Amino acid sequence: MKTIKRTALLDQLESEVESHLQSAISVFQNVSDTLLQQQSAQNGWSIAQCLWHINSYGHYYLPAIAHAMKPDAASRDTFTSSWLGAYFTRLMKPGEGMKKMKAFKDHTPPLQPDGRAEVAEFIRQQEVLLGLLRQARQVDLTRTKVAISLSRWIKLRLGDVFQFYVAHQGRHVAQAMRNV
Amino acid sequence: MSEMSSSLLLLRNLTTTFHPLSEMEWQAFSKIWQPFRAKRKEVLTLAGETERYLYFVLEGVQRVFFEHQTREATLVFTYSPSFGGVFDSLMQQKPSRFFYETLSPSFFLRAPATDFLQLLEGNPGIEKMVRKGLTYTLAGMMERMVEWECFSSEERFRKLLQRSPHILQLVPHKYLANYIGIDPTNFSKLMNSVRI
Repeated sequence: MKTIKRTALLDQLESEVESHLQSAISVFQNVSDTLLQQQSAQNGWSIAQCLWHINSYGHYYLPAIAHAMKPDAASRDTFTSSWLGAYFTRLMKPGEGMKKMKAFKDHTPPLQPDGRAEVAEFIRQQEVLLGLLRQARQVDLTRTKVAISLSRWIKLRLGDVFQFYVAHQGRHVAQAMRNV
Repeated sequence: MSEMSSSLLLLRNLTTTFHPLSEMEWQAFSKIWQPFRAKRKEVLTLAGETERYLYFVLEGVQRVFFEHQTREATLVFTYSPSFGGVFDSLMQQKPSRFFYETLSPSFFLRAPATDFLQLLEGNPGIEKMVRKGLTYTLAGMMERMVEWECFSSEERFRKLLQRSPHILQLVPHKYLANYIGIDPTNFSKLMNSVRI
């Protein structure tokens, strides 16, 4: 796997999170309750459901990441993906030939979650995530490991966890934006 | 025109609305500023430390807030074209009781407190401009106190949107709700019921 600069990776992740936040602040928090609940044309998820789904992962990952991070100014300033980590990120990335996936049971949203509450929680989580990405500038992204939400037996490198977690959000923010 | 000179032009326009500076005063005043960029949710001034800069906001929204145990009180929003920072700590050079943080990616000019305070000493024109600017700020704060004491939450909501209609799309609503002293849930309800 290719080795990249830690600052380059974190800059890119920060700007992705910033753009997800922009969607929430300029659009989602200002639309009507009806639009928040409206299913997509193909009977897909509403904006409220997309955000509920994203938030359900934040409840696990944000504390798990915060707990795993040990800031150390002398830590290595590069990052290398593991093949499994890179595979997860590729799976999440929207784009050509993107596969429709079925959500895991604990992450399948109810029919009509409280839209306003989900928008507010989404914004709160993204602000926390920005703080973690900032702290991560002093953390070894390769040696620090975080267990994935599916199984505590599978641990991935922090740099990979950040990447597939943010890519997963990007996928569903884009999905939510298609309902606007 | 370079970014710096167009930024300085905005600064000059603002100072002129307070009190026009002579060419010499402006030369001295304009020399102390440097461009400064910050990302979202960066704390620029911590409670307990003395304000080191006067800011002039070019882009983004920021707030001054007070932290009491787990509760926060948002006292002031700043956005272009206005001055920013914790003014009382700046002017008195005493530790700030407040935080100053960005609520969106921000771009400023900023001047070191020492340079700014020194200029005030020897230049009556600059001092007059600052006095008028601060008087304007004081009047705004008094008006806000009246709204706080006398207005219903719906009136405070309407007033906020009248004064800064663009702010709904710029900052998370929880900060706006906090500023007008209502629960975020009630803020959403007002969003739905009040037609502007």
